Amino acid sequence: MCGITALQLRDADLRPRLGELMAAMMAQVAERGPDSAGITIYPDVRVLKGVGHPAALAAEWRLREMAGTQAVAHTRMATESAITAAHCHPFVVGDGLSLVHNGSFANHATIRRELLARGVPFDSDNDSEVAARFLAYRMAEGDGLEKALRLLCERFDGFYTLAVQTPDAFAVVRDVIACKPAIIAETAGWVAMASEYRALAVLPGIAAARVYEPEPEEVYLWTST
Amino acid sequence: MSSDSSFDGIRERARLGRYPIRGGGARRAVPAFDDLTFLTASASRYPLEGYREACATRTVLGAANARDPVVLEIPITIAGMSFGALSAPAKEALGRAASEVGTATTTGDGGMTPEERMSSKTLVYQCLPSRYGFNPDDLRAADAIEVVLGQGAKPGGGGMLMGQKLGPRVAAMRTLPEGIDQRSACRHPDWTGPDDLRIKIEELREATDWRVPVFVKIGATRVYHDVRLAATAGADVVVVDGMQGGTGATQDVFIEHTGIPTLAAVRLAADALADFPDVKLIVSGGVRSGADVAKALALGADAVSVGMAALVALGCNDTVHDFGPASYAELGTTAGGCTACHTGGCPVGIATQSPALQARLDPVRGAERVANYLRAITMETTMLARACGKADVHHLEPEDLVALTVEAAAMARVPLAGTEWIPGR
Repeated sequence: MCGITALQLRDADLRPRLGELMAAMMAQVAERGPDSAGITIYPDVRVLKGVGHPAALAAEWRLREMAGTQAVAHTRMATESAITAAHCHPFVVGDGLSLVHNGSFANHATIRRELLARGVPFDSDNDSEVAARFLAYRMAEGDGLEKALRLLCERFDGFYTLAVQTPDAFAVVRDVIACKPAIIAETAGWVAMASEYRALAVLPGIAAARVYEPEPEEVYLWTST
Repeated sequence: MSSDSSFDGIRERARLGRYPIRGGGARRAVPAFDDLTFLTASASRYPLEGYREACATRTVLGAANARDPVVLEIPITIAGMSFGALSAPAKEALGRAASEVGTATTTGDGGMTPEERMSSKTLVYQCLPSRYGFNPDDLRAADAIEVVLGQGAKPGGGGMLMGQKLGPRVAAMRTLPEGIDQRSACRHPDWTGPDDLRIKIEELREATDWRVPVFVKIGATRVYHDVRLAATAGADVVVVDGMQGGTGATQDVFIEHTGIPTLAAVRLAADALADFPDVKLIVSGGVRSGADVAKALALGADAVSVGMAALVALGCNDTVHDFGPASYAELGTTAGGCTACHTGGCPVGIATQSPALQARLDPVRGAERVANYLRAITMETTMLARACGKADVHHLEPEDLVALTVEAAAMARVPLAGTEWIPGR
């Protein structure tokens, strides 16, 4: 019900083009999420969200002019919660952790209650926010991002492809059934993930990239350089 | 007017000069799991495929304190029913069935029999107010201990075993004279509240070298407080038995007029355990189908127990397997409506100590029926869980349910179907 795009730039020469590349990628997954969209741009953890077509939002934000090291974006077709900017991904929590989710969790209400009982605040009734809050909670308890994602796989039921970025890292993980789409491409200059290959096809050097589908319940993690 | 059932009750008391006693559970209609329905998956949630996508049912109890936690392959155990109330072949059959499907069975008042111990892979040993048959050797032979504070059929009351069922073996195990009517104590002499109970639980842990989990069973009345106190006293598992829970022999006035429905009890118990994440909840009382199991789990139970349902699977009130209607008539009862458990005249050899009647129950064939039943309701439970998009039956949650009646909505605290209305919210 949603489109995910994420990009981490290893080649410093590409960093002035981060916004341009992300806008091109998001345009390719707009049909998957025409309701609303959002993006986090690092290293400043700049968060932009809005209701409307992703291409219109990218223009409104002047996304193409933005530089940065990495970004994670989401185009949304709402399932159970409202179409508002507050319900848009990425959910940005803790120390600049951004999470985008394609799918639907099946036991999020229980996990939300457990986190609320531990004093974790929530901004929305969105199931994906529960995953972001869970990761931030685990990391505040001392776990690294990789361990927190493994615990998420143990605790969360349902269908999910997740892309997560922190100021230091970029990670991708999928549920055990892995039926929500995801594809990863890597070159010396960048690593990118998207819901569909066509969003990766817009990137420079894609013809020579290593392209692969992430395995179920395997945490893929790249640290920022 | 003459057909008024309350008149029948008056006539019965006028004839007997005492209160009626019977077996079974509450007969009157109370709000129950049947008054709820699942919101299964379609577009906003995704269902799991039954053929190739796993749905876990494994349930672990007591992992926080016990060196050997109880590991159940299915979230359904067999409730405590005594040797005395039940025949030795019936207890053996329940043990065989539980072992075959990877779950636990439970002793009952009057102690543990060797047949039951040998046939049960996982046997829960009850510690009851009566102390009948309770001894340290059997305690150390148990896989878990269940401290019984009360029972859904008679919370606040003690067990009963009528003289007809106190044959030589039962009487010897309970150190009672043969043939007397036994009325068990309604509270244990070692504790009268959570403070003494904590000491009792520590004593049981010491006696078993912290090897096995300790359960505490309560009849569902002041559930929130009782469950919190049981957890505070150190229970690994709290067993909450609702008012539909059955019995081998109890005063009718207890069965029908004490306790609260299982549907209401499960939610209160889950609330009470919110601050005790390591303490598990087992719910019993009127659980009959896979739908009942799934709904109990969704409302917060980690597992359920079946008593009456296991006996019905075994052959209770049955005329299909070995027993024709005549076998009921000759004992003054009727197939389908028989609650003569307390008389010892059980037409199907389950609730009797008569050697001739016991011979009617083949423990091996009976065990097959009970195991089939447990497997079938486990399949139904996973079917509903998969349809709700869950890869583990324990991931069912209250948000997966809506109620069909206002009463059930209020008790289960889920919305009335088609609305967002939860009475009282």
